[in-house]
Amino acid sequence: MTLAEFFSCSLLAFGAPLVMFALTVANDPVRIIIMIAAAFGWLLSFLVSSVVWYAVVPLRSYLAFGMCFAIIFQELFRYGMYVLLRKTEAGLKEISDNHNIGSNKLEMAYVSGLGFGTMSGAFALINVLADSVGPGTLGLYTGTEYFFVTSAAMTLCMILLNTFWSVIFFSGFDDKNYIKVGWVIVSHFFVSGLSLLNSKELYAATILPSYIVLAITAYIAFRTAGGSTRSLIQSISSRS
Amino acid sequence: MAPSNYLILLLIFSFCRYGNLQRLHEKIYSSIEGGAACFRRLNGTHQTGCSSGINGAVGVVHMIKEIIDVQWLMQNATAGPYMVVVSTHLFPDVIEHILEKPAIIAGILLHDNATGSSASFSQETRCPNEYSSSYGSTCSDSAAGGITWNEKGTGLLRRDIPFPIFYLPISKTFEIEKLDQCYLRYNVMDPANQKGRPLCSVQLHSFMFAAVDTEVCLRRSTSSALLTPTKVCDPLGDHNIYYSLFPRTKDNKNSQEITLVTARIDSASLFDGVSPGAASSVVGMVTLLTAATALSQMIPVKDASVYGQNVLWTLFNGEAFDYIGSQRVAYDIKQGTWPANAPLSVGDIRLHVEVGQIGGSLSVYDNTWPLHAFVPYVDDIPAIAEFLNTFSSNLEKNITLTPDYNSNLPPSSLHSFRRTFRNETESGALPEVLLTDFKATFSNMFYNSALDDYDNIDFTYHNITVDNKGTFIPTDALVANGTFKEVDPQVKIARLATVLARTLYQRVAGKAYAGNISVSAHLVDEMLYCFLKSQACRLLQAAEYASSGADEKPPERPAPLYVGVAAVGSTAPVFAGHLLALLTGTQLPLNRTDCYDLSVPGFSQYYLKGWNNSGVCIQTTMNISAALSPAFTIPNYNLKSGEYSTWTESVWQAMWARMFVSSSGVGARVAAVSGAVATLLAALLTYWLQTHAARIFTDAPAQSIVNDDAASGILRTVNC
Repeated sequence: MTLAEFFSCSLLAFGAPLVMFALTVANDPVRIIIMIAAAFGWLLSFLVSSVVWYAVVPLRSYLAFGMCFAIIFQELFRYGMYVLLRKTEAGLKEISDNHNIGSNKLEMAYVSGLGFGTMSGAFALINVLADSVGPGTLGLYTGTEYFFVTSAAMTLCMILLNTFWSVIFFSGFDDKNYIKVGWVIVSHFFVSGLSLLNSKELYAATILPSYIVLAITAYIAFRTAGGSTRSLIQSISSRS
Repeated sequence: MAPSNYLILLLIFSFCRYGNLQRLHEKIYSSIEGGAACFRRLNGTHQTGCSSGINGAVGVVHMIKEIIDVQWLMQNATAGPYMVVVSTHLFPDVIEHILEKPAIIAGILLHDNATGSSASFSQETRCPNEYSSSYGSTCSDSAAGGITWNEKGTGLLRRDIPFPIFYLPISKTFEIEKLDQCYLRYNVMDPANQKGRPLCSVQLHSFMFAAVDTEVCLRRSTSSALLTPTKVCDPLGDHNIYYSLFPRTKDNKNSQEITLVTARIDSASLFDGVSPGAASSVVGMVTLLTAATALSQMIPVKDASVYGQNVLWTLFNGEAFDYIGSQRVAYDIKQGTWPANAPLSVGDIRLHVEVGQIGGSLSVYDNTWPLHAFVPYVDDIPAIAEFLNTFSSNLEKNITLTPDYNSNLPPSSLHSFRRTFRNETESGALPEVLLTDFKATFSNMFYNSALDDYDNIDFTYHNITVDNKGTFIPTDALVANGTFKEVDPQVKIARLATVLARTLYQRVAGKAYAGNISVSAHLVDEMLYCFLKSQACRLLQAAEYASSGADEKPPERPAPLYVGVAAVGSTAPVFAGHLLALLTGTQLPLNRTDCYDLSVPGFSQYYLKGWNNSGVCIQTTMNISAALSPAFTIPNYNLKSGEYSTWTESVWQAMWARMFVSSSGVGARVAAVSGAVATLLAALLTYWLQTHAARIFTDAPAQSIVNDDAASGILRTVNC
C-alpha cells in the first residue's frame, strides 16, 4: 500500500507542474534556463533564511520566526529575479530561436514563478515522500494516515501559488502597482501562517483557505496577464 | 556538510507545514528496544532457527491473550500476515498452532510477563543432542514411547522456523504496553473487517546471511565477491577449562592416574544473548568449581609427591550443540594431544565423574535434594562401586544418592567419550558415573531456555561481605545464625560440593577425610551471583587481571552462557578459569614482572587483582584448551557424516524491531484520484490557454520596453 502512497502523492504534488512544464517550458531552451535560474534563486533565498535562523539562537525553536524570515527572503529573491530578468530580457530574446519569446512580457514571470515554486515544492515534500515509502504511516502517537495526501495537496498549492505570485509580482513592479505586490506578500504570509495549524492536525482548516487564496490569486494573475472572463468564454464558444 | 544539511532539514520542517521540529520518521515509528532475536544455526544437514526477509518482516499486530485468540487468528483473520504477540506463558501452546499454518504469520514477538509464570518453557528437543548420543541410548524425539529426557521440549531450537521471533525480557514490558495501547486503538474493534483499515503493525528485522547447511555456508564463506571475502557463517566453539589438583608434566609419572571430573559451562536458548542456564549448567559448574576449591585446600599442591593419584577437573563448553567441547577433548586424547603440556592417554583415566544437570529440583521448596547416579554398566565395576560407596558415606543432611544402573544415559558429555572410546567404556576400563537430579525426565522445566534464570533455582543473593584475605564463612555457621536455611540452593550446593571433595580426597589419599574443610555456602552465594545476576561481583572482580590502567566496570548482568562462535571468545569460560586460578592456586609473593617471568613445569602464573585489589601472583595448573569441533579441524571431513558436531552460526548485520500504524490505503487512493484530476485539469487548462493565448489574453501588457533593435545589434555579433 505504501509504495502506492509514494507514487500517488508524487503525482498529486508534481503532476500538474510537470504538465505545465512539458507544455509551456520544455520546448524552449531559454525558458528552461530561466526556470532553472529561478529555482536556483529560491535555493539561495532558502540558504540566506537558514543562516538567519541559525544565527538567531534564542528564536530557533519558534516556527513562526523562521517562517517570517523565509517569506521575506523569498520575496526579496523574487524581486531579485525580476530585476535580473528585466535586465537580461533583450539578450535572452536574442539568443533564443523563438523570437516570439516575450510577446507577452509576463511569460518570463510565469516561467520563473514555476521554477521558484517547483523548487520550494520539492524541498517541502521530498522528506515526506521519503517516509511515505513505508511500511508505516502516521498514527502511532499523533496524526492520521491522511498526512501524506494533505502534504502533497499543500505542496501543489504552494507550487501553483508561487507561479501566480510571480506573475502578479512582476506585473506589479512593471506597472508600479504596489497593491499587487502587497497582495502577493500578504497572501504568502497568510497561507504560510495557516500551515502553522498543521501541528494541531487541522488539515481542513489549512487546505480549504489555501485553495481559496489560490483561486483568487489565479484569477488575479489571469487578469494581470490580459485575460478576461469574457475573452475566455468567447474562446470556448466561438471555436469554429 | 552534515550540520548544514541538518539545519536545512530543520528549516524545511519549521515553515513548510509539518508542525514541530521532530523528524517525521520518529512520529511514524517507535523502535522496540531490548529485544533478543532468534537467529539461524546450521549443521551438516539442516538449517535451524529464524530469519526475516532482507527488508524485515511486517505484520499486523495480534495480541494473544488467551488460547482462543490464536484460534481466531488461524480461522477467521483476514488482514494477514500477522505479527503474533504472545507471552512466554502461552507460547508453548500457541507455537504448534502457528506452525501448522505459517503462511499467515509474519513473525512472533514473545514477551516474558510478570503475571502468569510459565510452568515449562524449553525449545530444546525432547531428546537433546539425540544424534550425538552414544550406544545404549534409547531416547528418540520422533518415535513414540520410551523415555524422553526433556519431556516439555518443543524442539524449536532444532527446527527451521519460517518467520522471525523476537524475545522481550520482563524489563521491557513497557514496550508491550505501548504496543497494546496501539493495538486497542486500531485493531480490536470489529476484528472481522480489519482489511482496509489503518492497523497497528510491527516490523521485525533479523536477516540471516547463511542458509541451507554448514557445508554450503562454509563454501560460500570462502568464496569472495569482488575480492572481498564475505563470511556468512562461523563454526560454534569457544574454550574448555581444565585444572589438575597436582601439576602434570611429561616426565612426572607418579600422578598420571587421574580421576576426571567434568561439568559443562554452556547453556543455550533460541534467542541471541539470552541463555542464563541456571539449572541447566550453572549449578553443576558451581558445584565443580567449589568442590575443586575445597579439595585444593584439603590436599595442598606441595604434597603432590605423596600421592599417586591426581584429579583433573574439566569444564566443557559448547555441550548444548552436540557436545562440542567434550568431543574435542575426547578426540584430542585419542590423538594424544590433550592436555597440551602433558598429554593423557585414555588408560590414565581411572574414573570419569560428570556433574550433570542437577539444578532442576532446586526450585522445589524442600529440604531434600534427591540425586541420581547414572552408571551405564550392568557388571560391578570396582572403581564405581568404591566411588558410590564413599560418596554415600560422606552424604550429609537431606541429600540422597540413588544409583541407577542403566546404559540409557541422559544427555551429558559422557556420550562423547563413549563414542570415541567405545572399547574402553564398554569394557569398564574407563568407568563412568553421571550425577543428575532426575531419574527419567528432566526435573528442570526450562532446559536450555531463556527463562532458565536465577528464579528457576530459587536463588536469592545474600550479599555477605568478603574480607580482604578472601575467607568465607562456613556453611554451618551461616545456617546456625539464620542467614541461610537448609532449603536454600547455596546451602545444598555447598553440601554437595563438600561431599564431592571429600569423596575425591578419599580416592586420592586412600583414607577418609578427617579435617573440617568444607565448601562455604557464602562462596556458593557469591559465585551464583556472578554467573546468574551480575558480572560486577566480588569474586570476578578479585579474579580479574590486575591491570595498570583504568578499569571499566563490567556490566551488571550475567555473562551469556551460549557457546558463541569460535572466532570470538566469550566471557563465561574466562570467568570460570580465573575463579579456579584464584580459589585453588598458590599465592606467590612476587610482583607482576617476576610473576610472569617465573617458569615452573606444570604451572602457569596469573597476576590477578586479588581480594584487596592490590594484585596477587597466583600459581596454578589451570589451563584452557580449544572447544572447537574436530569437524572443522580434520582436513576434508565429511560434514554430513554425523560423527562430530558441525554447528555453525549465521552472520547477521542488524537486528531490530519497530512498531507503527500501517496505512489502510485510503490516503493513497485519495491522492491518486485527486492527483490524476489535478494533472488532467492542469493539462487541459494549460493547453487551452496556450493555444488560444492570442484570443484570451487580449489586454496583454505592452511589449517589452527594451529597444529590441539596439540590443540585437550588439548581440548578433556574438555567436552563441
